[in-house]
Amino acid sequence: MKRKEERSFLFLPLFFIVVMVLPISVYSSAFGEEKKDLPDRGISVSPEYTGVVVFEEEGVNIDLIVTNQGRRSENIDIAVTSIPDGWKAWVKTYSFGVTGVHVESDKSKPLTLRVEPGKLVGPGKYTIGIRGETQDKKFVSTSEVAIEVKKKKEEKRPEGIKIVTSYPVLQGPTNAKFEFSLEVENRLDKDTIFNLFSQGPENWEINFKPAYEDKFISSLRLKAGQSQTMAVEVKPYLLAKPGTYPILVKVNSSEAEGEVLLKVTLTGTYILDAGTATGLLSLDALKGKKANLSIYVKNSGSAQLNNLQFLSFKPENWEVEFTPEKIDTLAPGDLKQVEVSVTPADQALVGDYSVGLSAESGKISKTIELRVTVNASTAWGWIGIGIIVFVMAGLVFLFIRLGRR
Amino acid sequence: MHGLYTVFSKELRDHFSSYRFVILFALIAMVSFITSYMAGVHMKGNLEALAKTRFPFLTLFSTPGAVLSMVQFVAFFGPLIGLVLGFDSINRERADGTLIKLVSQPIYRDAVINGKFLAGVATISIILVSIVLVISGFGLALVGAVPEIEEIWRLFIFLLISIFYISFWLGVAILFSISFKSIATSALASVALWIFLSFFVSLGADVVANTVAPVDKSREAEPATIMKNVRIKEMASLCSPMVLYTDAIATIVDPMRKTTRSFVLMGPMEQVLSSRFQNPLPLGQSLIVVLPYVIALIAITLICFAISYLIFMLQEIRT
Repeated sequence: MKRKEERSFLFLPLFFIVVMVLPISVYSSAFGEEKKDLPDRGISVSPEYTGVVVFEEEGVNIDLIVTNQGRRSENIDIAVTSIPDGWKAWVKTYSFGVTGVHVESDKSKPLTLRVEPGKLVGPGKYTIGIRGETQDKKFVSTSEVAIEVKKKKEEKRPEGIKIVTSYPVLQGPTNAKFEFSLEVENRLDKDTIFNLFSQGPENWEINFKPAYEDKFISSLRLKAGQSQTMAVEVKPYLLAKPGTYPILVKVNSSEAEGEVLLKVTLTGTYILDAGTATGLLSLDALKGKKANLSIYVKNSGSAQLNNLQFLSFKPENWEVEFTPEKIDTLAPGDLKQVEVSVTPADQALVGDYSVGLSAESGKISKTIELRVTVNASTAWGWIGIGIIVFVMAGLVFLFIRLGRR
Repeated sequence: MHGLYTVFSKELRDHFSSYRFVILFALIAMVSFITSYMAGVHMKGNLEALAKTRFPFLTLFSTPGAVLSMVQFVAFFGPLIGLVLGFDSINRERADGTLIKLVSQPIYRDAVINGKFLAGVATISIILVSIVLVISGFGLALVGAVPEIEEIWRLFIFLLISIFYISFWLGVAILFSISFKSIATSALASVALWIFLSFFVSLGADVVANTVAPVDKSREAEPATIMKNVRIKEMASLCSPMVLYTDAIATIVDPMRKTTRSFVLMGPMEQVLSSRFQNPLPLGQSLIVVLPYVIALIAITLICFAISYLIFMLQEIRT
């Protein structure tokens, strides 16, 4: 029973809301239905810009607004009435040409007027007339677009393409891979395929990649006005000396051309090689006895290594010594020999141990793992055999002395 | 030499025809078979573990099947073979009056003891070789593991050490049969010595170790103190031929084992780095590790025989 009461209390505020909101909504909808004071019929066709400046041989898109001012929907025919000699002009949407459009009452539709001057069209002022009429030809709207053609400054327009890079200079070791991010924008009015070229130091590997995709490309298709991010991957020549190297990236098509200068600063590579002359990484040692091994360290990088130190990773009570204990400088390509002596502990068990030898120089380290086989000394074995021989001799002595009784 | 061979072949014939030997051999063979069979079945059940071991054939001997492994069984009860074969070898002859008859033949006195000892050793060898061969056959049939050359060598060395171990007890029994006129006394004495050396020495070793280097059980002790205690215990228990024997064959039948010690003090690095390569020891290294034990075993066997020989040769036997 109690629950029911509670529910009725819940309904009370809801009721209030309904009571208060209902009249408002009714009122507003009644108000909305009351139409504006429109003429019975009426259309207009007008360009967004009535005057346009273009360069020679360059087309332009002008937005065309078709409005139905009347109370009923209209089918409006659109035509370009006057086209200057050598020009081409048509009305289109994004993708196809248009000769008529349906516009609902009190609505407008955007269309595009595409105007392209022919090759022979020189600088000057031209007018293009547009005419829209209802299908029953009772209502007509005309408008004009004035186009001023200017002389072209260059063969190709650098403005036709824009290349932007946020990080034009990258720095890193020689064995690294550098990736520049370029944003290429097509400022031409049409879809264009751009070819990609690069000019870098000899033996460098320069590739173009789409952003976030692992494939190499040599051309780029961009829609009019579209921009796309692309990556330039640069792999320096491994023997390149430290320094700054320029890389020129060119993007061109038949109509536009752009270039950007990228720079790579190499700090050299840090590669340290270590190993044994024979490649053998095992060592036999007797308990408590020193075993020698010679290893080499080689600077395979292109930067100098300073203060090369040797460390070992060994069982407790073992001794590992390096001669020399450290190498002050190791020039690129240099190879030095280091004598290593490993002394297993007296109490070490026989068997295989792993001993790590590592060379370390601030930026880089290299570890080689040795398998040290600890063998037991055979000295005690000979003593044992001596004991047996001694006992046998005693027995033989007894035989000779006491036998044949 | 003629006399030696006569005594040797007669003793051998006596051994093989005596019920005592048949019963003993049956007992030991049966237990060995059962142990190895259990080990074999166990291995068959754990084929994964078997695939990991380098020497599956040897595990047949070293894996505890029911209670004891084959190797432990020989260590515990092998001495009984030696004792049973030798405890009445001389004093029974003496009691039956056959010793005088024997030496009145064209047989030297040393031929008697040498022949008796060698016949015992031959019997022991035949028992052990046959048991090992039968177990190997079991292994081939049950597990299908074919022994490698190294495993065969290890088994051979195991056999040699076992023969020496049991021969030591044969020597002890012969020594008592020479020293004591009564058969019962010599039998009792040898069994008592066996029980003492095999089972009580380890208890005594505990006592010695805890007296010399006591370890406070209530507190956490220093590793060095524990190690000292353990070392003394190990040293003291070496008085037992059984400990000598088990230590001697420890690395022989288990190539992964690197020491005879039960406790080894290892630093954390040493532990990590030594477990990096899990390689078995080569046979030579295994042998060198346990060589002192093997030498000691051989030496006490020879010395024991030498003493019996000495006593027998200097004894008045005509009375």
